[in-house]
Amino acid sequence: MTAEMLAFAGVAVVLLASSLGVVLTPNLFHAILYLAVALVATGVVFLLLDAPFLFGVQLLLYAGGVVTIVVFAIMLTERLVGTSIRQTSRYLVNGALVSLAVFVGVAGFLVQAPPSAPRPAWPGDLTVAVGQALVGAFAVPLELLGVLLVIALLGALYFARSEG
Amino acid sequence: MPLGAYLTLAALVFAIGLFGVLTRRNAVGILLGIELMLNAVNINLVAFARFHADLAGILFTLFTISITVAEVAVGLAIVIVIFRVRRTVEADHLDLLRG
Amino acid sequence: MTARVGADDLALLVLGLPFASFLLLALVRPLRRSAPAAAVVSIVAMALAFVAAFLTLQGSVRRGAAVSPSTTWSWIPADGGPMATVGVMVDELSMWMLLLVTLVSLLVQVYSWAYLADEPRSSLGRYYAYHSLFAFSMLGLVLSPTFLQMFIFWELVGLCSYLLIGFWYDRPAAARAAVKAFWITKLGDLGFVAGIVMLWSVTGTFDFWTLFTMGSMGTLPVEALPPIMFLIYLGAVGKSAQFPLHVWLPDAMEGPTPVSALIHAATMVTAGVFLVTRAFPLFRLTPDVLTLMAWVGACTALLAASMACVEADIKRVLAYSTISQLGYMMTAAGAGSPEAGFLHLLAHGVFKALLFLGAGIVIHVFHTNDVFRMGGLRRQAGVWLPFLIATLALAGVWPLPGFFTKEAILADVLEVRRWGPFVLLAVTAFLTAFYMFRVVFLAFFARPHGRRHGEPHVPLAMSAVCWLLGALTLALGLQQAFLSGHHEAGGPRWLPWLSLTLAGAGIALAWAMYHRGAIAPARVAALLGPIDWMARRRYGLDALFAGLYRGLLLALARLIGWIDRYLVDGVLNVLSAWTLRAGDRLRGLQTGQPQDYVYGVAFGALLLFVLAHWRLR
Repeated sequence: MTAEMLAFAGVAVVLLASSLGVVLTPNLFHAILYLAVALVATGVVFLLLDAPFLFGVQLLLYAGGVVTIVVFAIMLTERLVGTSIRQTSRYLVNGALVSLAVFVGVAGFLVQAPPSAPRPAWPGDLTVAVGQALVGAFAVPLELLGVLLVIALLGALYFARSEG
Repeated sequence: MPLGAYLTLAALVFAIGLFGVLTRRNAVGILLGIELMLNAVNINLVAFARFHADLAGILFTLFTISITVAEVAVGLAIVIVIFRVRRTVEADHLDLLRG
Repeated sequence: MTARVGADDLALLVLGLPFASFLLLALVRPLRRSAPAAAVVSIVAMALAFVAAFLTLQGSVRRGAAVSPSTTWSWIPADGGPMATVGVMVDELSMWMLLLVTLVSLLVQVYSWAYLADEPRSSLGRYYAYHSLFAFSMLGLVLSPTFLQMFIFWELVGLCSYLLIGFWYDRPAAARAAVKAFWITKLGDLGFVAGIVMLWSVTGTFDFWTLFTMGSMGTLPVEALPPIMFLIYLGAVGKSAQFPLHVWLPDAMEGPTPVSALIHAATMVTAGVFLVTRAFPLFRLTPDVLTLMAWVGACTALLAASMACVEADIKRVLAYSTISQLGYMMTAAGAGSPEAGFLHLLAHGVFKALLFLGAGIVIHVFHTNDVFRMGGLRRQAGVWLPFLIATLALAGVWPLPGFFTKEAILADVLEVRRWGPFVLLAVTAFLTAFYMFRVVFLAFFARPHGRRHGEPHVPLAMSAVCWLLGALTLALGLQQAFLSGHHEAGGPRWLPWLSLTLAGAGIALAWAMYHRGAIAPARVAALLGPIDWMARRRYGLDALFAGLYRGLLLALARLIGWIDRYLVDGVLNVLSAWTLRAGDRLRGLQTGQPQDYVYGVAFGALLLFVLAHWRLR
């Protein structure tokens, strides 16, 4: 058992546990905290996959941005309604069955897939390569992404503004 | 670790996220489930990129993350509007489109 | 053997003049709107056509009978020669008909100008346009060298009849009569068209002359002929108002009186007789059809005469007498001598036109058709003398043309020993004299009814035409009596005396009943109770036709209604009901809850997985 395997096993356990926490905990606020843990664990998985830049993005945008937004939203709604929001679940068995079926379906492909080759070495620094690609081959998608973010910003503003 | 391990992990997270989407009554809870599913996809993308030494997967992930943030922002805005109008965020009660 | 043949270009001129007039009136609107101009155009064209027809006859030459009198041009091309030809057939038959048609048309058009003076000017233009079209159609029918061309003109003539009967189309009775005439004659025309098509299929030609030649050479398939000739005869039955398709003619009297004179007495209704005469070399080969023709003709003659005896409407009496005389002509053809029938046709054309035009004058004076409300015209000889001449001619009194032609028919019927038709015709002769003089005594010599009219004013054109026709009738009769000399050819010596006695008896009875009042008509009617009762009801034939027409039409309408309601609508209703129900069921799928849709997506994905797994295997 190598250190890498150990690390992967640990991250996997944390990720799965926190994910389950997100979907199972009745307290919405806790669910967000579990989500934050799951996102960080995902970031660590990226780290294990030799993508430290993505780890950074994941931390900043997801764990930092998304979680903050959601916390804000929840606190806003709780302020509006006056009580803390409990979240309950429905049709647990149905959901579990369908989810399991989907997992089995995907796993079926994984079982059938041929054993993969060992991971090849990265040609150089990933962060540099990403930066060059973003202003090179992927410049147009990047610009479009900027437009999308502006639109999302305006849309969110439009929805959230108060009447009158 | 082989590619299959990462993919299995991603599939598991995806299934858990789907479970959340299917079972949560609260709109915010559903959104959280969607986040989990997206994360699983991101893991897939990065794992394939790494094992095929292809930068495109990394860049896709980058974009996905950004778009997800936008999606969450807009989604939450919608949830807040719904809450303001209907005084609830229970998905069971949001059935204006019922046939 | 020789036959007279006329010049085809002159005949074409006769045909073309009325057509040109019709085109002019139909296309040039101001001409049609202005009545005098329309009348002048039509009358001048007709007069020129009459002159041309006269010249055709005058300039005709004798040629060998083996030479075809038709000039034809190919029309419908087909492999191996044209399938149909058009042209003119200028033999003696058609030349005499040309003369009759143009003469009567011309006189009637002149007469109409005075008779219809009160009509709106625009509709008078329409009237003359129809008249020109009618003259063109009738002349074309007469000149047709093929069955096909004849059928086309035959239908055109029927159309004109329809248009002119319904000339006062705002009168419901006239419109109904026009439709009735059209439908009933169409019944016969169905037979006609089927007959000529079948004839074509067995012989391969429509051409009269070719058919006649084939007939005389014995190359016609005689065994196939009887049904064909019967069908063609049906066309003649419809057009010439033979029993049982005669019911349209009395109703056709709803049209203007000059129209009745021209179309429904002198020319168009004789088209059936003309057809039989024209195609007689073919009819000769089918004795059964001829026998049928003779019996139907004789029965028609008697039946129509009996109905004329109880009719009060002067025009209807004349209509029944027309039917009766057409029966005579058909019987003559059925007895194997269409020449006698044709001669009667020509003579009848002249004096029946005169009768109608004379009746028109009486109607003009009294403003009614009812003979019982007329009378008191004893002093106006100008009114009743031409009518009386024509009446005597119709009754068959020597020396007027009706006498000779009727004699010829009776003699020919006797000659072939058809005793049944002969007796019927003899009785008809008696009845003819009776009902015609009944009209004469009632309409002219009876005591005036109601308020006293002033001196009746008769327009000059009307009386002049009548006098002209009267003189012509007299001249024809005198010519036959003293100049031709062979009028007694055939027939036993007692025949003229018999018919003269019958006519005299009829006249005497009418005089006794309606003038002297020696015999009360009511007592005679009571004596002949059932016949009187039946004749007054027109032997139930009108009711039968109306019932059939209504029954069939209603049954058809009900059937179509049922199909529409239960099949067409039913299918649509079932489909729409199914659609609605399916939609109702399917809307249950749309719960409106996002997560149910996610289930759908998940199931879809699972389906794809299964498919992919299955394909990978």
